[in-house]
Amino acid sequence: MSPRATGPNRARVLVPAIGVPIAIAAAVLVPMQATAAVDLPDKTVEELLEFVEASDVESLSGTIEQRSELGLPDLGALTGGSSGGSAGSGGDETDAAASAALEELIALATGSFDAKVYLDDDRARLQVLDRMAERNVYLGPDEAWFVDSETQTATRLTVPADADLEGIEADLRAKADEAKAKAEAELPEGAELPTPQQLLDRALERLDETTEVSVGTDGRVAGRDAYELVLEPRTDETLVGEIRVAIDGENGAALAASVTARGASDPAFSTGFTDVSFAAPDAAVFAFEPADGFTVTEQELPIPSAEEWAQWQADAEARAEGDDGVAPDAHGDRPVVHGEGWATVVEMDAEGGLAEASAALEALTTPVDGGRALQTSLLSVLLTDDGRVLAGSVPVDALVEYAASGR
Amino acid sequence: MSSPEPDLDTGAARPAPSPTVERAEREAPVSGPRPAPGSRPALGLALLGSELVTLFRRWRTWAMLAALALIPILIGIAIRLAGPAGPGRGPAFLDQIAGNGLFVGVTALVVATPLFLPLTVSVVAGDTIAGEASLGTLRYLVIAPAGRIRLLVVKYLVAAAFCVAAALTVVVVGTLVGWALFPIGPVTLLSGGQISVGEGLLRFLAIGAFVAVSMLGLSAIGLFASTLTVVPVGAMAATAILAVTAQIVGAIPQLEWLHPFLFTDRWFDFADLLRSPPSWESFADNALLQGAYAVVFGGLAAWRFATRDILS
Repeated sequence: MSPRATGPNRARVLVPAIGVPIAIAAAVLVPMQATAAVDLPDKTVEELLEFVEASDVESLSGTIEQRSELGLPDLGALTGGSSGGSAGSGGDETDAAASAALEELIALATGSFDAKVYLDDDRARLQVLDRMAERNVYLGPDEAWFVDSETQTATRLTVPADADLEGIEADLRAKADEAKAKAEAELPEGAELPTPQQLLDRALERLDETTEVSVGTDGRVAGRDAYELVLEPRTDETLVGEIRVAIDGENGAALAASVTARGASDPAFSTGFTDVSFAAPDAAVFAFEPADGFTVTEQELPIPSAEEWAQWQADAEARAEGDDGVAPDAHGDRPVVHGEGWATVVEMDAEGGLAEASAALEALTTPVDGGRALQTSLLSVLLTDDGRVLAGSVPVDALVEYAASGR
Repeated sequence: MSSPEPDLDTGAARPAPSPTVERAEREAPVSGPRPAPGSRPALGLALLGSELVTLFRRWRTWAMLAALALIPILIGIAIRLAGPAGPGRGPAFLDQIAGNGLFVGVTALVVATPLFLPLTVSVVAGDTIAGEASLGTLRYLVIAPAGRIRLLVVKYLVAAAFCVAAALTVVVVGTLVGWALFPIGPVTLLSGGQISVGEGLLRFLAIGAFVAVSMLGLSAIGLFASTLTVVPVGAMAATAILAVTAQIVGAIPQLEWLHPFLFTDRWFDFADLLRSPPSWESFADNALLQGAYAVVFGGLAAWRFATRDILS
């Protein structure tokens, strides 16, 4: 730089001018070099899935980074507006609290955040690290907390007293045993029920009809060697391009997952560990006692009581007996399913709830033939003028077609 | 602000007072004949001591610390008079103050970190070399056997000392004001649990340290700016503008790839110390980031200062 730098001055110029960049480059490049070569023993898709199946990770702690560019509009405009409205119109407060908690959970599932995850046996905690704030989900054996530092609220979710958890569990087990016995009776003498391996193979075969499953290149996730499982839909009717799952090469735990839209180069949704440890976390991280200033709301989980469960069972049986080929009444309770595999579209009745939020909806959606549509990178929703909702991971045009044909 | 370029030009174009003076200046520093090894550290410490005394004897330093102390005082009085703030409104932790006065210090840090704190740090860091140059005292400092690099290191340490003093002023004054005006109790963490007052005070002190460390990168930038000019106000303004610009860039989502490299990126992560369990990784990450800035801009300042003609 300085043309007059000569003799001893030159050394003074060169040492920092060259040394500093070299030091920084070394600091950046050395760790990158270390991550370059990962070579795990090769596994076929079957072996890899079996490996995942056999994974027995019960405790871990780590940091996850979730990034979502679904192109979802701010849903708070919809649900937030309606919850404010219901509070004003004398809607009961538990409902408002429940919808607020639900909204938060939806925001967690679809949003971008950094969080810490702790898992130990039957306790788990998700600690979302917001700037100057924090959201927490604590899961315990018999209660769960949702805590938001910004609103200073803690919502306690409990199992209702009349819920028949044991009954449901016993019922399900009995059903499974029954089915097994039935299957065994139907099998020719000497033959046994398929092994888990055979079951896996069959499931893979079925998956293979719609999806191309392959093992990608080994990589490093959260500093651990990982396999990569790649799922690619065989149809090009869907918006989903591919799904990638990183699987720990040592213990088979899923370390990362990402969903890429068709034709896009970057994932629309990705979540994964940035660092992870499979040691049991300190028990103190699971303990939660709401502080004095927090508003505590009690909320019961909608687990059916014994009678409701029996009713559901009856419904299911009635449905099973009906003919599968004929689509049920589009204006009935049950959703209609169009298409199959990745291009499945679900059609439901909107039950007139749309009129209320119409202003907000109008801002979010774009008009199309026969209704209004919301298009994100992985999901499309069509609200028809005659009050139906169609949703699926397909382009809006396909939804419009289904809506027109199903009328 | 005055851009450094014209100063460079005028500095170079200015007629040299006399060839002998220039020679003496250029050959005396750093690589010149070294005195006995034992005398050098002592000399550096003596220089550091005298520079620290100079800094804290200035009325300007005390005026800036007083302005910083005013922030928690104003917050405390406002909440005391106007009543508690609702949750989720105003700066973070503002809603906690009425219930627990210890939060005044942290709230004041939240308020001071974006502008007031970087502004005062810019003034001190921008003044380090350019201030001496404008007073005409720099040439005497570099002729002393201390050497240019050593002078630079001492100046940087003095600026760092101011960072610590500034952050501690806000936290300590805030805690005292809160103690005087509000009830004191167990500290509510972001995770929703509580810790004892003693542990809470330790966490607040750690937050003060976090903020002090946060300002080290900016100090290094200020030091570099200060070696580019002989007009201290220019260096101060340039540094303060950079601090604000970096925060604006940090707020633009389209530039997200750049964010991890901004020295302001982790300024607000001090709230991580109020989690349960406290997240010390962000303290370490922030220290690393600031250290990198200190190395890069310290290196640039050393290169610039070692090769520059010092005429005043």
